[in-house]
Amino acid sequence: MSKVFDGLTVIELADRRNQMVGKIMSDAGARVIQIEPTRGSPGRWVGPYLNDVQDPNKSLDYWWYNTGKESVALDITRLPGQQMLRRLIEQADVFVESTKPGTLAKYGLDYASVAPSNSKLIYASLSDFGQDGPWAQLEMNDPAHLALGGQMGVGGYSDPKETPIGGQGRQAYNAASVITTHSISIALWDRMTTDLGQYIDVAIHDCCAICTERPVSYWMWYNQPSVRQTGQHAGPVYALPIQVQAADGRYMNARFNFPNNVWPKMVEWLKELDVVGDLTSEKWNDPPTRAEAAKVGGEIEVALKALLAKVPAQEAFERAQSMGLTWGVIRAPEENLDISHFKERNFWRDIEHEDIGKTLPYPRGFYFSEGLDVSPDGRAPHLGEHTKAILTEKLGMDAAQVDMLVQTGVVR
Amino acid sequence: MTSTSNIPKGPLNGIRIIDFTWKAVGPWSSRMLTPYGAEVIHIEPPHEPDDHRWDIRPAVGPNFDIQAKHNDHLFGNGADYYSAPYYSQLHNGKLSASLNARSPRGKELLEELIKKSDAVVENFSARVLGNWGLSWERLHELNPKLVYLSTSGFGHEGSLSHYRTYGPIVQAESGLTFTSGLPGREPAGWGYSHMDIAGGWIGGLGLIMALMQARKTGVGTHVDYAVTEGAMTLLGPYFLDYHANGRPTRRPGFPPGNHSEWPGVAPHNTYRCAGIDRQGQDWWVFIACETQEQFEAFANAIGKPELLADPKFGTMAARKANEAELDEIISTWTAPRRRYEIQDQLQAVGVIAVAVQGPEDRVDYDPQLRHRNVYPLIQNPEVGEYEIEGFVPKLSRTPPDNTLRATAVRENEQYVFGDLLGLSESEMATLRSEGVI
Repeated sequence: MSKVFDGLTVIELADRRNQMVGKIMSDAGARVIQIEPTRGSPGRWVGPYLNDVQDPNKSLDYWWYNTGKESVALDITRLPGQQMLRRLIEQADVFVESTKPGTLAKYGLDYASVAPSNSKLIYASLSDFGQDGPWAQLEMNDPAHLALGGQMGVGGYSDPKETPIGGQGRQAYNAASVITTHSISIALWDRMTTDLGQYIDVAIHDCCAICTERPVSYWMWYNQPSVRQTGQHAGPVYALPIQVQAADGRYMNARFNFPNNVWPKMVEWLKELDVVGDLTSEKWNDPPTRAEAAKVGGEIEVALKALLAKVPAQEAFERAQSMGLTWGVIRAPEENLDISHFKERNFWRDIEHEDIGKTLPYPRGFYFSEGLDVSPDGRAPHLGEHTKAILTEKLGMDAAQVDMLVQTGVVR
Repeated sequence: MTSTSNIPKGPLNGIRIIDFTWKAVGPWSSRMLTPYGAEVIHIEPPHEPDDHRWDIRPAVGPNFDIQAKHNDHLFGNGADYYSAPYYSQLHNGKLSASLNARSPRGKELLEELIKKSDAVVENFSARVLGNWGLSWERLHELNPKLVYLSTSGFGHEGSLSHYRTYGPIVQAESGLTFTSGLPGREPAGWGYSHMDIAGGWIGGLGLIMALMQARKTGVGTHVDYAVTEGAMTLLGPYFLDYHANGRPTRRPGFPPGNHSEWPGVAPHNTYRCAGIDRQGQDWWVFIACETQEQFEAFANAIGKPELLADPKFGTMAARKANEAELDEIISTWTAPRRRYEIQDQLQAVGVIAVAVQGPEDRVDYDPQLRHRNVYPLIQNPEVGEYEIEGFVPKLSRTPPDNTLRATAVRENEQYVFGDLLGLSESEMATLRSEGVI
């Protein structure tokens, strides 16, 4: 079955910010050609590496974000490199870049310079702050975005003296990449009717700033500042902790509110483990009494902590869910590999790494859908793996011309 | 007002989406299409309006009990449920109608509507639409071009599909919660439901891609979006590290707080500054030097050029090895200083340094967000103007319309049941009296 972006050519100017955009588009069928500096994309210089040996072809982080792409190593700071990239963009459907505003204008590669020779081009800039504004030139990385954009300010521990915490895994770049790919999809939709491309300007900071849910709402509409709280939503007031340690040391996410149909089952479970205390007394059959306890703690909190201290997390998860409780285990990512549910959903896709003689299971991607098969299409490219082939195919160069460019260091 | 006045001109004009979403992750998926002109009909059960129409409400203070009273200055006094501001974000630009899909007549009407639509989106638990008699097979039979986006914690297939989730559970189960915290401490988590917002954007991306696929092939598809898998897809490198190197994330030192493991960069942390916020929480600045040049500029800027010649700090590897001591030195420098002054001073010499901003900072101070109009004012006919979190991408030819609002309960009933389905006023009155609409 064909994929939604089959037939499209995407030129991606290598950067850690935008590589998820090209990955999604490649997974969805586009031909994605990544233009890298001759020393390799910045994404290649991020670990972890295979066997912890630093090698631009063995960054596992790069492997993940660049499945199915082709690599052209090309120095765009030099005039011949700029000319070649311009010609590649002229033939492309989509160009994705993440340079600081003004950088590509110096090379004659900004939208205004390239659009006249390709009216169908969709030119997407995914940058730290967008193309304009007082902070447009600040130096940033992903955690800096979580700090300035608001994620860090609402995440962390309930101690007001403790540092705010930003999560790992480049989630600012990932979220902004999803918005960018959505914007490209809208532009492609429009192009199906109009035959015209356009310019897209997405700022990672803007995306982060609309992504923190309630705390902005509390401040914007009710002038209520929020507090960070361990393992749960920031909010105007401290709430009862919902993160509880189970017998195997793992933490559960367990809220202490129990609907009427669940409460007797909960009492039964507490009895079985001899931690029921006085929760069998009549007053606890009253929902408002239980609801109040869910806010302030007390006997229910004590009993549940005692219960979970006796039950391993997985067992508690299954039993709680079977009773109708919305509890979960705070798992390390790799602990999902053993859960049959994801295998049943064909979530792990074998990607062959013939260069190291191994096949590795990669996450399938966001969606389980036969008709919209967005899943990895082969391993990430080696540095410059496709340089010669693409310069020949797309720019009509012969072997001697490419060799000359290699010798002069313009391509690799 | 005409019943469809809310729909702006845009590339998605003519696309109609039946929207049974609630909470946050589902609403976002279709909310991303209204600024481009899609007609999204948000359907609520009669007599049971979406709970975000009165949420977010004040968490403390005299208006705490707003759900019952609807007398807040931002809601208006009306019984029309014009909606809380947060509803205007989540269901921005959608039309509103009510329908009891469980009643036989309600289901008939819904099936007629589905035949005239391009997509159905919902984020109920996995069995709900099937229980209505609207399995994917039935939807496809009714309308072969129809796209069906179902968003749920574990998806519609698989042995955990009936398990209950909300944002924090998805994050916990996927591993996302685990990646946030100080080493040796319990997980800190994200402080909000990242997978309700960013996870909703992922659903929205799936929706537009599936609509495009249907437009190209003439055949609709079911996108079974399990948000847990969405989150796992955001954690790809950890799975590869486990497979290729046998290294689990459940190991001493992980997660590394605000330090950077890969690339191994130091300094890379939050540092306490002068001042506290309104809740008594300390103010912090985030600083990172990813290159030797940045560290040289940094050492000079903080008046400690001697660090460059110190074997403990002269190279990146040395700094990483002596990170705790370096953090102490930096903390001593930042402690008496103001976070935005530190940001300005260090950014001026090319160092990554930014204030850890809270909601108030972003809404009331951040000059960049103001410049980009990230929190635009919108009009609510009942209570006037208020700010919302806008939809932020900028497209030159087809810009998203950031002036839209959400609609009142049943505001578009005449359009949906009269204009689209051809019911007369008396038929609608009967259906109303029977509780169908």
